[in-house]
Amino acid sequence: MILEAEVGLGSAVSAEQVTYGYFGTGGGALTGVSLAVAPGEIVLITGPSGSGKSTLARCLTGLIPHLYHGEMKGVCSVDGLSTVETPLWELADRAGLVFQNPSEQLLATSVEEEIVFGLENLGLAAGEIRARLDEALARFGLLEMRRRSPQTLSGGEQQKLALAAMTARRAPVLVLDEPLSMLDTTAATELVAHLTQLARSGTAVVLCEHRAEYLENIPGVRVLKMGEQVLDTDGLLAAPFQSRAGGPSCLTVTGLGVRLAGHRVLHDLTFEVPAGQVLSIVGRNGVGKTTLLRALTGLQSHEGTVLVDGDRPGLGMVFQNADLQLFNATVREEILYRLPEPDMELYGWLLQALGLGSYEQMPPLLLSEGEKKRVALATVLMRGPRHGLLLDEPAVGQDAAHKRMLITILRALANAGQIVIITTHDLTLAAQADRLLLLGPQGFVADGPVARVLEDHAAWERLGLVVPDWVRPDRDGDASGVWR
Amino acid sequence: MIRLGPARRARELRLREESPLRRVDPRVKLALSLGASLAVMLPLNRLVFFMGLYALLLLWARLIDEAATQVWRLKWILILLFLLDWVVIGLDLAVIITLRLVLLAGTFTVFFSTTTPGELRLALEWLRVPHRYAFSVSLAFQSIGLLDDEWRSIREAQQSRGAWAPPRMAEGWRGFRPSGLVAQVRELVALSVPAVVLAVKHAWAMNEAACARGFDSPRRRPYRRLTMNRLDWLLLGGALATGVALVWVRL
Repeated sequence: MILEAEVGLGSAVSAEQVTYGYFGTGGGALTGVSLAVAPGEIVLITGPSGSGKSTLARCLTGLIPHLYHGEMKGVCSVDGLSTVETPLWELADRAGLVFQNPSEQLLATSVEEEIVFGLENLGLAAGEIRARLDEALARFGLLEMRRRSPQTLSGGEQQKLALAAMTARRAPVLVLDEPLSMLDTTAATELVAHLTQLARSGTAVVLCEHRAEYLENIPGVRVLKMGEQVLDTDGLLAAPFQSRAGGPSCLTVTGLGVRLAGHRVLHDLTFEVPAGQVLSIVGRNGVGKTTLLRALTGLQSHEGTVLVDGDRPGLGMVFQNADLQLFNATVREEILYRLPEPDMELYGWLLQALGLGSYEQMPPLLLSEGEKKRVALATVLMRGPRHGLLLDEPAVGQDAAHKRMLITILRALANAGQIVIITTHDLTLAAQADRLLLLGPQGFVADGPVARVLEDHAAWERLGLVVPDWVRPDRDGDASGVWR
Repeated sequence: MIRLGPARRARELRLREESPLRRVDPRVKLALSLGASLAVMLPLNRLVFFMGLYALLLLWARLIDEAATQVWRLKWILILLFLLDWVVIGLDLAVIITLRLVLLAGTFTVFFSTTTPGELRLALEWLRVPHRYAFSVSLAFQSIGLLDDEWRSIREAQQSRGAWAPPRMAEGWRGFRPSGLVAQVRELVALSVPAVVLAVKHAWAMNEAACARGFDSPRRRPYRRLTMNRLDWLLLGGALATGVALVWVRL
C-alpha cells in the first residue's frame, strides 16, 4: 500500500515499503506502506478499524521494532536516522508519540512532574527545564492545575497534558494515534488548533484518526487513506430482535442525584425515556455521563428513583472500556457464554451486522478496540436485556461504516420496544438519534428532538461545547422528546 | 427512594497533607520507619513500652488513625496467626508475634502515608538504586491505589452484560441464575482474566509512554534534588539514635 510514493531526502519522517506482522499473529498488520512527511506539514491518516494506523504510528517513532519483536521489512527514518539502528531514547528526542487513551500515558503524580519527566531525559539544565515547563503550562492553559494529580483531570485536560509533555521536548516530529477519540467537541477543536500552531512552527505532524472531519477542511492538511472499508452486509436480513411483550414501557427517572467522594456529580435529574426511542446524551468530559448510566443500571448508589413501568429496570450496559467485559477464549464463546438455549439466528445476524464473522474463533482480547466494543455489544444483545440498552461512548474506535451499522442496530432494537440510551462525544453519531439531551454540571441544559437541540446555540454555549459545521441530524426531528 | 449506600471511600493512595511529616525528607521518613522496625527484636515488656512511644510519634504526626486502619485491614491474618501460635506453641509467643506484626504494619505508615511516588523515587535514587528500577518501583507504588477501583469496574461491567450477577441484577436477564461452586469458579475466572489483562495492558501502555519520552536516556539529568532542613536533621538523629539504642538493648 503506497500512501505517498515520493520519499524525499528532506522529509522529517518517512517510511519506505514498510511491512510488519506482530509476533505470533502470522498476519501482516502493515503491508508495503510508503510515506514521507516534510517539516511543518500535517498529514492525516484515516482508515477503517484494524487497517494498521496504530502500527504505522509505532513504526514511525521506533517503538516498532525496539519494543515489539515481530517481523519488519522496509525502512523507517526520523530526521535522517534509521529507526532500526538508532537507540529508542535517541529517536524519542526527534519523534514523539501521543497515544489514544490519555489516562494510560500519564506517569507522574502531578501535572508539573508529568512535563518534567520528558525534559529530564533530554539532559537539560534545571533552568532550561523550568523555562520550558512554564512555557508548556501557559501554552496549554494548565498553569492553574500544575500541582494537581493527572488522574483527577478530565479526559480533555489529560490529552492536553499529554500533548504539553510531548511538545515541551521540542521534537521535530509529532505522531498522534487517535488523540481526538475520547475528547468532546471543544477539547477536540482546541487540540486541532494546537496541532496547527505546532505545524506552523515547523513540526511535522502525523495524525492517525477516525474523526477525520475535524481536520479535513483545514488548509494544507494532506489526507491519506489506509485500507478499504470492510463491512460485508450483503444479504443482511432485518434484525431478528423479538418485540417486547406487554406493550410499550417507559423509563421514569425522578430527582436522581449522585455524590462521589463528597462532590455532587449529578443533581436532581428528572426525565423520561419511552421505549422505541434512541436517546443521545452529550456533555463535556467529566460532567457525569457515565455516572448517570451507572445509576440507571443500579450500579451506582443514588438519590431519587429510577423505574420502568413502576418496576426496577432491567437494562444492559456496554462499557466504554470493553476490556472489562471480556474474558473468554474465543469470540463465539464470549457471545454465547452461559446461554442455555441461545438464539442462533440472532447470533448469526449479530456476527454479520457487527463485522465479527471472521473473528469467531479468535480471542476477543486480541482484537482492536473497536472490534472488542462490538463483541461486548453482541454479548449484551444475546442476553436480551428486559427493558433496554445503555452504551457508554460506543463510537470510540469505530470507523464510519461501523458507526452507521451501530445506529441501524440501535434503531432496530428501539423498534422492538426497547429503551436505548447512548452517551457520546461524537456528534455525528449523536445526531442520528431521535432525541438529544445536553447534560451540564448543574443538570440538563437542553432536551428534545435532535434537529431542534442542535439549533439551540444558547444551550451549547452554556454547556461550553461547539457544534462543528459538519454535524447534521439524520432524521426529520419529528420524534418528540419527553422532558420536564 | 433508593437510599444512598455508605459513601464509597476513595481508596486511592491518600497523602496526609495535614501531617507535619508530609514536608519531611523521604530519606528521613524511611530511616524512621526502618529504625522503628528494629523494635521487633525486643522482648515483650520492652516491645509494649516501645509501641507506646511510637504511638506518641504517630499522634504528633496525626497518623494514628491511618496506622490503626492499616492494622485493621490485617485483622483476619493477625487473628488467624494468633490462634495458630497459641494452639501450636503457647500464649506468650502468640502475643509477641502478633504485636511484632502490628508494629511492622504501623511503622511504615509514617513513610507511605506522607510520601509521593516521586519522592520515593528520589529517595531510592539517592540510595544508588538505578533510575529504571527506582522509576518502576515508584510507578508500582502509584498504581496500588488504582487496583481496587479496577476490580470494582470489572465486577460492574460483568454484571452489566449479565455474565454473572447478584440476585438483584439477575432479575433482568434471561436464563441466568448463578449458584454453586462451579458458578463461583466461573465468576472468579470472569473477574480475573480482565484484571490480569488490564494490569498487563496498563503496564505496557506506561512502558510505551515512558519510552516515547526518552526513558532510559544516558543523558538524563534530574530536575529535583532532595535537601535536608533542620527538622529533617533532628528527626534523622532521632531515628539513628533509636536504631542504635534498640540494637544495644538487644545485645
